[in-house]
Amino acid sequence: MKLLRWAWMVGGITVLPLVALAGPIFGGRDKQPVPQWGLDAYKTRTPDYAKDAASVILYDDYLETVDAQGRAVEREREAIRILKPQGRNRVCGVSHDVDEKINYFRAWTIGADEKQYQAQEADFIEEGDTGVPIMLSTNKYRVVHPPAVDVGAVVICESEEVLKPYIQEAVWRIQSDVPFVYEAMEVDLPAGRNYAEGWHRFKGVKPVEVSPNHWRWEIKDMPGLTLRDVPSSPELAVLLARMTVQWGSAAVPGTDNQWRAIGQWVTTLEANRPDPSPEITAKVQQLIAGAPDFYTKLSRITQSIQKDIRYFVVMRGIGGLQANKASDIYRNRYGDCKDKTTLLISMLQVAGIHAFYVPVDHRRGMVDPEDPSLVGDHMITAIEIPADVHDARLKAVVEGSNGKRYLIFDPTDERTPVGNLPSNEQGGFGTLAAGSSSQVLSLPVLAPEANGTERKGAFTLAADGTLGGSMDTVHSGPEGGDFRSFLKYSDEKQRHDAWERMVTRDVPGAVLESFNVVEPDALDLPLEFHYKLKAGDYARKAGPLLLVRPRVIGSVAIPFNDKPRTVPIDLTATGHWHDSYDIALPDGYVVDEMPDPVNLDTDFASYHSTISAKDKMLHYERDYTVKKVELPAEKQADFRHLEGAILSDERSTVVLKKQ
Amino acid sequence: MQVRRCLYVLVAFATFLFPAALFAQFAPPTAEELSMTSEPKAPGAAAIYLYREETVDDNLHYHSFFARIKVLTEKGKELATQSVPYAKGYNTITDVKARTIHSDGTVIPLDVKPSDLVEAKVGTLQVNKVVFTLPSVEVGSILEFKWALRYDDNQVSSPDWDLAQPYFVRKAHYSFKPYKNLADITVNDEPAGKLLYSGMLPPGVEVKEEPLSSLCTLDLTDLAPIPEEEYMPPIGSYIAQVQFYYTRFSNKDEFWQNAGNKWSKQMDHFASESKGIKDAVAGIVAPGDSDEVKAHKLYDAIMKLDNTDYTRRKSKEELKRAGLRQTKTAEDVWKQKSGSSDEIALLYLAMARSVGIKAYAIVVCDRDREIFNPYYMSMRQLDDVLVIVRIGDKEQFLDPGKKFATFGELDWRHSLVGGIRQQDKGTAIWTTPSNNYKAAVTYRFADVTVDKEGTIKGSARVSMVGPSALHWRQMALQNDEDEVKKNFNESLKGMVPDGVTAELDHFLGLETYNSQLMAMVKLSGNIGASTGKRAFLPGVFFESRAKHPFVTMEKRTTIVDMHYAEVVQDDVTYHVPDNFVVESAPAETSVPWAGHAGFTLKSQTDKNAIHVSRSFLRGFAMVQPAEYAALRDFYQKIQTADQQQIVLKAAPADAAKDASAKAAPGN
Repeated sequence: MKLLRWAWMVGGITVLPLVALAGPIFGGRDKQPVPQWGLDAYKTRTPDYAKDAASVILYDDYLETVDAQGRAVEREREAIRILKPQGRNRVCGVSHDVDEKINYFRAWTIGADEKQYQAQEADFIEEGDTGVPIMLSTNKYRVVHPPAVDVGAVVICESEEVLKPYIQEAVWRIQSDVPFVYEAMEVDLPAGRNYAEGWHRFKGVKPVEVSPNHWRWEIKDMPGLTLRDVPSSPELAVLLARMTVQWGSAAVPGTDNQWRAIGQWVTTLEANRPDPSPEITAKVQQLIAGAPDFYTKLSRITQSIQKDIRYFVVMRGIGGLQANKASDIYRNRYGDCKDKTTLLISMLQVAGIHAFYVPVDHRRGMVDPEDPSLVGDHMITAIEIPADVHDARLKAVVEGSNGKRYLIFDPTDERTPVGNLPSNEQGGFGTLAAGSSSQVLSLPVLAPEANGTERKGAFTLAADGTLGGSMDTVHSGPEGGDFRSFLKYSDEKQRHDAWERMVTRDVPGAVLESFNVVEPDALDLPLEFHYKLKAGDYARKAGPLLLVRPRVIGSVAIPFNDKPRTVPIDLTATGHWHDSYDIALPDGYVVDEMPDPVNLDTDFASYHSTISAKDKMLHYERDYTVKKVELPAEKQADFRHLEGAILSDERSTVVLKKQ
Repeated sequence: MQVRRCLYVLVAFATFLFPAALFAQFAPPTAEELSMTSEPKAPGAAAIYLYREETVDDNLHYHSFFARIKVLTEKGKELATQSVPYAKGYNTITDVKARTIHSDGTVIPLDVKPSDLVEAKVGTLQVNKVVFTLPSVEVGSILEFKWALRYDDNQVSSPDWDLAQPYFVRKAHYSFKPYKNLADITVNDEPAGKLLYSGMLPPGVEVKEEPLSSLCTLDLTDLAPIPEEEYMPPIGSYIAQVQFYYTRFSNKDEFWQNAGNKWSKQMDHFASESKGIKDAVAGIVAPGDSDEVKAHKLYDAIMKLDNTDYTRRKSKEELKRAGLRQTKTAEDVWKQKSGSSDEIALLYLAMARSVGIKAYAIVVCDRDREIFNPYYMSMRQLDDVLVIVRIGDKEQFLDPGKKFATFGELDWRHSLVGGIRQQDKGTAIWTTPSNNYKAAVTYRFADVTVDKEGTIKGSARVSMVGPSALHWRQMALQNDEDEVKKNFNESLKGMVPDGVTAELDHFLGLETYNSQLMAMVKLSGNIGASTGKRAFLPGVFFESRAKHPFVTMEKRTTIVDMHYAEVVQDDVTYHVPDNFVVESAPAETSVPWAGHAGFTLKSQTDKNAIHVSRSFLRGFAMVQPAEYAALRDFYQKIQTADQQQIVLKAAPADAAKDASAKAAPGN
């Protein structure tokens, strides 16, 4: 759908321009000179360590002024020097939602020629959060593109915003992809209010009390961090240092107490949201009727939510954090992660099972037990397991500090079965929001058996190099879940194209002759994918030789390089992958040479591969197991050795010779 | 998709009012609609439009929209969320109604107020989106929704009908009631008086006009979805659509003559002769220079200017402080040594004319964005200004607004595109020439020494002329050289074999435009695979990882647009250890495609060196679907050739040593 054209007017009447909106001042109408702090920041010399950066933040200063009710007004002052042409893309911006108000937002530039300019109203742009089709968000972002932003110029911005009344913490992002020369955070609290601080990936600095209950933290020379050319790394946001300061109920001593308070706050926020409606009660009773055990009861409920509730995000002010009511979610059959958790808690409540909200982040490592905060972008569920239930199908189990066992489950993931957990959530942390029992939970890392793929191939090689045959693959756990999700959100053409792309990555020019997916209704049963393919010139002729790569389809290699690294290695998922391929050789050819077997075992993974030939059949078999989801950077040598061996094995060649 | 381009004149006679509020009403679905699980005419579709209706009445100042969608798979549920963009302050969205009907007939109405969200706001211009999501959507559900867009009594808005949709359309009805008194309508401050439409219509589909009421309607059935294929041209220019116009013109020729003349005057005004321009060119060309030399010298001069499309346009305040005025003429551009692409092109036009060269402006589409449609009577489809110079008896198309474009070569986005040009008398619709493959050449040389373990050391040189050189040079305008290097290294990763690291050492000619751009590259890493007595090297060093297009896709419905014709020439030398002999090297291969393209691959062994040379020539930028089979065959054969390997065999003594080493305990 597109906007209509607006070029024509009736009877020559000119359309009047919109009346200028009354409201906050965004520059232009309140002409002001560059403030003294900006002039001072401008004088800061560009440090040597910033020479490779596109820009450098010379000065970044936050002031949070908190009123008696705990509501903050945030002032930010920032000065950025543009060091390279691409540094011009760095802009100042203020994000704001329906519960917030920008008091002012001004920007200036001191040009490379030292002339000073102030941004005018036309230099400010407001962007809505409307780019995601499955999201309804009222959040907006106001950015400024001030004049004279050339290499050497310094952009100076100042804004003040009244923040959401219900958020009583500030997250100070002290690191970015470009360096900071100087940065500071001040929190001005009313008498009697306490604060608590937490640091993520930084040792922390002590604050100074600049006036009664007014605290200031300062950091100098924070290096920038980029992950360009650092393969297999966690996401940048996870690795960037930050500090959180609390001044609400979580401003208590000790991280355990802080997490408890945060969990308590979430519990209160979502209180009564899961109350079941008569329709929910009836549905649950219908679902669990005759269920022989806890797992069956559970899986019937979770699968009903996974199947029937469409994912749709509603982020309207506090609605970004507070779920809709279970009755509405059930009636509308849509909701986001917190809604799906709400409905699950509601349905489990009807079934007599206790369950709790667990705020998390989809990026492993983003939630840091040392930095209690609301940082996170996702909500999952902790399901209390009755003491007498011991079922091997319940794999994603953690034990709380209260001794209770909780099954961690993500109802938003529409295809990973209850008992298992999406790989990206394994090994992270979440807040168990269980009232006074709230705590930070270490999310489990599942055993390799809980995830993986089994591939079997039977092929025939012709003397002209053409390979034809069939593949049977079985996908279980989160990997099976990913496959099911792809099936769910693609049409037939997209599937065919995607699979053909997948096959041609390994077998160039391959054509999928047929494919068939066996997708059992029960999510805990593996998904099967069967297909037939044909590829001309798979084996390359080289004089009297025919060169065949016995590893026909599928790669388990993880990107790596030889450069020294300081950031952890993300192995993505634990799991077990097994390939077994038979290739019937063409008449008149015999195996002349074969690569050696590969046998590698480390504490985080193992890889074994063999090639054998018997009669006219070539057989390739490999077994790959990953036991950890992340490695410290110090393990890079072992990681490289493993990946090098895998890569070499994957491209190894068998030489056939004409008899 | 078969569509025809057309333009029709509609004359409004009637003056009576259109009946109000002819909005489509929700009607009960048929039993077949409720029970259907697939559409035989759209196999595998995730959803289809059972019915679409758009109604526009400019007398009542509204557009209304109605749709009935059948959800056939889980993916089809994505249509449950609808968003309606509109210009806040000019339009309002009203009467949003929606409901979901389950396959058992249960109706669930939308009872949540739609959200009105800001999409973007700059100054007083604001675009919003009204967003709503239908409740309780299941596979098998029918989704029905409607809304109206209203505008002020002093406005009219003739519609654009996008007939083709991402999903199959079983049936659609469109109607448009034009404003009753066309004489009251002004377009660009001129009275209109007529209503026209242009369109690209599927066979058998037409716009019907009721003579008395002047109501225009269109009905269609079974319209295929918008295709999705690799290397498509801007598809929006090829799909079924209709555009209505209030205009004072009777036909396209009249429109383009008038619009062209107006545009031409603006060009001439901007590029008008002035003392400043005369003085400038006097300092650039010499009196004895030929027209050709003058044209080149002027081109060199304007290429040195700051092209603000690649940097930044100065604000009014900056110009004021610098004592400069807003750019209004070519002379201003020269004085400021800065201008947009179009302004610099027009400066070149002014300068060329000033030295006596016949020169004309031409404004064209950007082929990356859309294809010029002369039946679509709008100058807004034309994006960029080029210049045509006559040197001797030959006209040459120049792209002076494209920073670093070689003299005489158009950016591919400006080649093979339509537009309006100036002529000695008036203007004309024109098409720009295609690029010459000889002017789009990439040479890749590599000299690689391989040791026994497959470890390599070596160097490569990538020389570029034409579009690829332009790409990196323009990137260097918006980024520093280090950033361009990083990007180039990332592009090299897809070019060299697995295990090889290619690191750019330096560029030559990055900041100029009239020479080749050369990238000097260092190679290292490990190449190929080995067994006990053999080692294998990729036969085609630079293409061993290439994924050639079209190889798997059997059928094609749209034109193939590969942007530009080109030549890629590779020469690679492998030096292998003395104790290896070459057992096999790539066979000589030739893949001709007469009149279109050609490919050759040769290898030569010389003691311990293997030379492989590969030549790829594609003489076309675009290919019709009818030629797709030949295109696919060409690429399939190239893919086969590129997969070849070099087999090295260890001399007998070494092979024996390796074999005994392998047999040793602990290995």
